[in-house]
Amino acid sequence: MKKITLIVKFIFFVLIIMSCENNQKSNEINIYSQRHYAVDELQYENFTKMTGIKVNVTKANADELIQRLKIEGSSSSADLFITVDVGKLWQAGDMGLLQKIEDETITSNIKKEFLDSNNFWVPLTFRSRIIVYSKDRVDVNELDSYESLADKKWENRLLIRSSSNSYNQALMSSIIANNGSKVAEQWSSNIVSNLARDPKGNDRDQVKAIAAGQGDLAVVNSYYIGLLLSSEKEDELNAGNSVGVFFPNQGIDQSGAHINVSGIALTKNSPNKENALKLIAYLTSSVAQQTYVDNTYEYSVNTEIEPNEIVKKWGDFRKDNLDLNMLGVKRNEAIRIFDKTGWK
Amino acid sequence: MEISLNQIKKKSFKSLLAVVLLAFIIVLPIIALFVISVGFDTTNFFYFADYLLLDYTLSTLYLLVLTIFFSFLFGVVPAWFISTSKFKGRRLYDLLLYLPLAIPTYIMAFSYGDILSFSGPFQSFIRDFIPSLTTFVNQDYLQIEVLSILLAFSLYPYLYAACRISFTLIGNNYINLSKNLGLNELKTFFKIGIPLSLPAIFSAIFLISMEVLNEYGAVSYFGVNTYTSGIFRAWGSMADMETASLLAILLFLVVSFFFLIERWITNKYNYNFKSNSDLSPNFKNSNKKLVLIHVTSVIIILAAFIVPIIYMINNIIVDFDNIDLFDVFKLSKNTIFISFIASVLIVLVVLFIQYVKRISNSKVLNFIGEIISLTYALPGAVIGISIILLFAPVNDSLGFLLIGSIPVLVYAYFIRYMAVAVSPILTSFRKHPKKLDDAGKSIGLKPFQFFRKIFIPLNKNAIIIAFCICFVDIMKDLPLTLILRPFNFDTLATQTYEYAIEEMITKSSIYSLTIIIFGVILLSILSIKQLKK
Repeated sequence: MKKITLIVKFIFFVLIIMSCENNQKSNEINIYSQRHYAVDELQYENFTKMTGIKVNVTKANADELIQRLKIEGSSSSADLFITVDVGKLWQAGDMGLLQKIEDETITSNIKKEFLDSNNFWVPLTFRSRIIVYSKDRVDVNELDSYESLADKKWENRLLIRSSSNSYNQALMSSIIANNGSKVAEQWSSNIVSNLARDPKGNDRDQVKAIAAGQGDLAVVNSYYIGLLLSSEKEDELNAGNSVGVFFPNQGIDQSGAHINVSGIALTKNSPNKENALKLIAYLTSSVAQQTYVDNTYEYSVNTEIEPNEIVKKWGDFRKDNLDLNMLGVKRNEAIRIFDKTGWK
Repeated sequence: MEISLNQIKKKSFKSLLAVVLLAFIIVLPIIALFVISVGFDTTNFFYFADYLLLDYTLSTLYLLVLTIFFSFLFGVVPAWFISTSKFKGRRLYDLLLYLPLAIPTYIMAFSYGDILSFSGPFQSFIRDFIPSLTTFVNQDYLQIEVLSILLAFSLYPYLYAACRISFTLIGNNYINLSKNLGLNELKTFFKIGIPLSLPAIFSAIFLISMEVLNEYGAVSYFGVNTYTSGIFRAWGSMADMETASLLAILLFLVVSFFFLIERWITNKYNYNFKSNSDLSPNFKNSNKKLVLIHVTSVIIILAAFIVPIIYMINNIIVDFDNIDLFDVFKLSKNTIFISFIASVLIVLVVLFIQYVKRISNSKVLNFIGEIISLTYALPGAVIGISIILLFAPVNDSLGFLLIGSIPVLVYAYFIRYMAVAVSPILTSFRKHPKKLDDAGKSIGLKPFQFFRKIFIPLNKNAIIIAFCICFVDIMKDLPLTLILRPFNFDTLATQTYEYAIEEMITKSSIYSLTIIIFGVILLSILSIKQLKK
């Protein structure tokens, strides 16, 4: 029993010490991040080596992190908020959780078209939501635009993941912003009737399902194809090779391929603002951008950095030049259209 | 004598107060949820009710029914054979059948998702070696029915463990009686085994259902929309925390209702039979039956444990050059540290509450004992948010952060996993007659002397079992850890999950296998202790 009492006392002692340890220290930055690729840790390590500033990270999904930022309010120790969907950055800005970033050294790194018109966030990388198709069963000339995926000829042939996924929500938001909600609703309902199976799995599973012959074409994020094509597993490599990559909406009167941005924002009450800005400047610099491009097969937002070799082979494409904030603004409407039209 | 009785009463009063306080601390997050969901804008909620609620509820029920059915098949049948028959390999099977509990449901689902996929090992093997079957096995395996089998793979051990104890305790008297009345083994199983084990079966089914309701990663991967997906949809996609809380509370109320029914059944049937001392298994084994025993046990063990393990080991070999062993070590340390602290606290508090409940014999305490188990009915992520809600005002007034500190994370585990420790300890307490307490008093032991000198040693096995189960569960925890952990604090479970949702299942294997190894060690201890019991 004495032993037990001792253990309990010890545990409480440790817990008390640990709750005090949590206070902010200088020369550190705290990040709430939705990104958890191995490359991110590498970037932070390089930054620490260069500047001596320690980077602390909490990773969770964007909605949880937004909720946490909101509840913590002014006592939050987070300096930066990183997401893989610009809609969530817009949402955080809209909820008053962010402060504007007006820093020449940062914005001069970045291609103008990716900058936030409100200055609430800074893009780190971008990706396109593309169409991939079975090289055997689909002629590339049959493909045209997101809108044309609603054609009857794709009945029982189309694959796409669930509407809970934020990449699909962003795509639907762009369709609403470009075509209006009536058209979007009709489109969604046609897409649902063209599906080869209920929405499920992740983006890679859609590609595998094409390889398996369960469907003929799918809508996925570009970098997943890069990841499959660089896989060390032969079967994954084969699955990646069995599909062709198509950038939709490239016609003169069309909107361009939908893109989404993984971005970073400064929190409203950032306790280490100066250091945080240094990190943003570093992550958008050409050195760090090259690291992103080579590891995740995303596209760089930096004016100087070319895509990775695998990605380059797919060629250049015209991007949708919609204000990226619309991907957040139209989000609620997008969800409602999904629900109304039975897109699971 | 008069004075000492008064002293006991005084002491009991203090302990009573302590229990009430503890219970309050435990249910605080539920109160917080109620508070925020009162009087908010209900537009989204009614929208949700119009379009999604029915669909989500139906698929949840379907998934629950299937999962329970398969868990029953995988758990109860082998438990019966192993408890009532003697055969070679019995002890080994007994141990192995517990082990799938060490594999978190989401890892089971992601692993099999990949194993069965077109580019996975199963279909590749068939293509290479049995080409004639290629088209037959080329199916879409991401189906709700497949999901339910996978969930049952990692959840059936709850039923297995419960039935193992119960079938063993029935003992030979009843079984001999049934034989004398001319019932064969099948009939004995249905007429004696199952009915006498109903309380055990119901509480295991309750635990399994809770796990299914708490599951998010696996169900969304399989494209199944459960009620919990609904909570996340309201919270995430609609950015409406209030609607999410209201949905969580509805779920909580429904679950509470079933929980009370479960408790009612347990109390009603609990003492209907007398366990006896002749526990040796005694059914005769025909050859046919032996084949059946071996085939069922081997298939279950292979599918639920060996196959996923081999798959992970293979991934580790493929990716061996990229593995950061130092990181694996660091995360193991974190995982063990946090699981250990939380489990010790949970076991101590549960012991304390159950003991005070026993000596004070008060109705209020009985009630409290029941409601603290209910926190298990809330999805982890919801508890996570309600804890942030609770601590935010504390943050503001203290000026430094408690959220994102180890103590708050431990508190969260404490609330969520309390119920897991209650059942083994309670069951063990019940086995000791009240007379024992009186005997203790009569030799002049004070309540807590008695507790420490008699009760703890007597219930040592149950305490160890409770500790092990808590430890394994906390080690596997995902939603609470993700949202409440301190900066730079990863556990094996969070790392596994991060890789898995980024579609890098190969890289996640070293972390998931480490979880499983720790789990296996603890469950082996548990299984051995159970045998001794």
